[in-house]
Amino acid sequence: MTSKVDTPINAENGGVITKKDLVKMFWRSLPMEFSWHYERQMHMGYEFMIGPALEKIYKDDPEGLKEALHRHLEFFNCTAHVTPFIGGISLAMEEMNKNNEDFDASSINAVKAALMGPLSGIGDSLILGTLRVLAVGIGTSLAVKGNVLGPILFFLIFNIPTFILRYVCAIKGYELGANYLEKVQSSGLMEKFMLAASILGVMVIGGMTNELVAAKTALKIGSGKSATEIQSVLDGIMPGLLPLAATGLYYKLLQKKVNVILIIIGTAIFGIICAQFGILAA
Amino acid sequence: MVLKAFLLGCIAFLGKCDLATGTNQLQRPIILGPLVGLVLGDFEAGITIGATLELAFLGSYSVGAFIPPNVIVGGVLGTAFAIVTGKGPAVAFTMAFPIALLAVAIDNVFFSLVRPLLARMADSFAEKGNVHMVSVIHMCTGFLTCTVLFLMVFLGFSVGSDAMKAFVNAIPEVITNGLTIATGLLPGIGFAMLAQMIMNKKVVPFFFLGFVLSAYFKLPVVGIAILGIIIIFAMLDFTGNKDQLATNIGEVDDDDF
Repeated sequence: MTSKVDTPINAENGGVITKKDLVKMFWRSLPMEFSWHYERQMHMGYEFMIGPALEKIYKDDPEGLKEALHRHLEFFNCTAHVTPFIGGISLAMEEMNKNNEDFDASSINAVKAALMGPLSGIGDSLILGTLRVLAVGIGTSLAVKGNVLGPILFFLIFNIPTFILRYVCAIKGYELGANYLEKVQSSGLMEKFMLAASILGVMVIGGMTNELVAAKTALKIGSGKSATEIQSVLDGIMPGLLPLAATGLYYKLLQKKVNVILIIIGTAIFGIICAQFGILAA
Repeated sequence: MVLKAFLLGCIAFLGKCDLATGTNQLQRPIILGPLVGLVLGDFEAGITIGATLELAFLGSYSVGAFIPPNVIVGGVLGTAFAIVTGKGPAVAFTMAFPIALLAVAIDNVFFSLVRPLLARMADSFAEKGNVHMVSVIHMCTGFLTCTVLFLMVFLGFSVGSDAMKAFVNAIPEVITNGLTIATGLLPGIGFAMLAQMIMNKKVVPFFFLGFVLSAYFKLPVVGIAILGIIIIFAMLDFTGNKDQLATNIGEVDDDDF
């Protein structure tokens, strides 16, 4: 008798992938971005993730294995932390391909391509847009005071949820196969989940815009002791007005697809000009 | 000195292993800064400088195919020089940023030339059905970049620390002040980038709610997050009733991805 983890999950349809294989895929998904490059991006990472499982599926079919390896060296890019989900779906489809003469192998890459966009959208906004902001916010607020808990909390807040997510993605991607996104979407929960995540995300970003973007004007009206500081006038209108305006301006520039490197260099030059003429205070 | 340079190089190597161990943020200045502090004997300065650089480089994060300034080389050398010269966080950024730009230029040579060539090797092993060698090439490609970062930091610190000290002392005050102003503004780019990924018409008011809670009520970010979660549960029904969403909130419409 074999234990439960060694039993093929989809044995009734001729599948060979076991839970153990999916756990292995989870571990092998970790270096997903390690060999990233402009041309085909995460393709070698993807092959690294599912390679051993492909070898198992095509154990007695060397030609099939070569085709599968070639297939999965095509372009791939997605939020790294959710890639095992697509990997699981690919494996379910590769099994179908192996056991079914009529299966159209090109649909494997079609599904991959269809999933990487939406999953990147969800993954980037949840993980990079919400979770990372939360981790940076809590981590830096402690670390700027020299508290070693800052970096530690930063690391834990980001990694505990993403590692759980990775693991769940590996198992569920295979189990639910290509129907998954459609199922969640038709139940209406995906939209709510996305909306909830973006509400939380923008609220935190709004708070951090005030807390962590720093801009104070050094300009004064009049001279000597009777001079009025413009900053105190601005604070009377609305605290944090300048940081908000700066962030709004960056937002507009990014919307106009201005290169980020240019914006950063522009900010440095702007800062120097403001220092020279005393427009903003250091 | 050589030992310190070697250890700092190792920190850069370790930082790049971020991408081998699950894109887990190991490479960020907030993590590497304290390690640099340990090597140079000022742990606490490492933490505070790391936090400052973390915020300054918040927008320098790889999203999609955007390759940001190299925060590993910039962050490690910037923190190291700031500690060695004793000039603190503002100087850290004036050092870190030009170094990060230089390092990303070298990165890009690898991402656009060296790695695609290595990928050709992986292709030829795939043609032979050799899974193991494809995996080996994948990992070697990554460790090659780790090694390059090690060398950049090792050479930068051992050759540069005295030269850099003189260089920093020679920087006019208007430049350091200007860059301090810029460090204050730069997190705004990060927030704008993040907002762009998730902003749509339905959630714009919540951005300003978060801002006002912080600006007028001085509520910390964690408090804002908790309030956000309360609002979400008060507003949305997660039991799977689709009509509720349509009538209360409407559809989520992504502006531009």
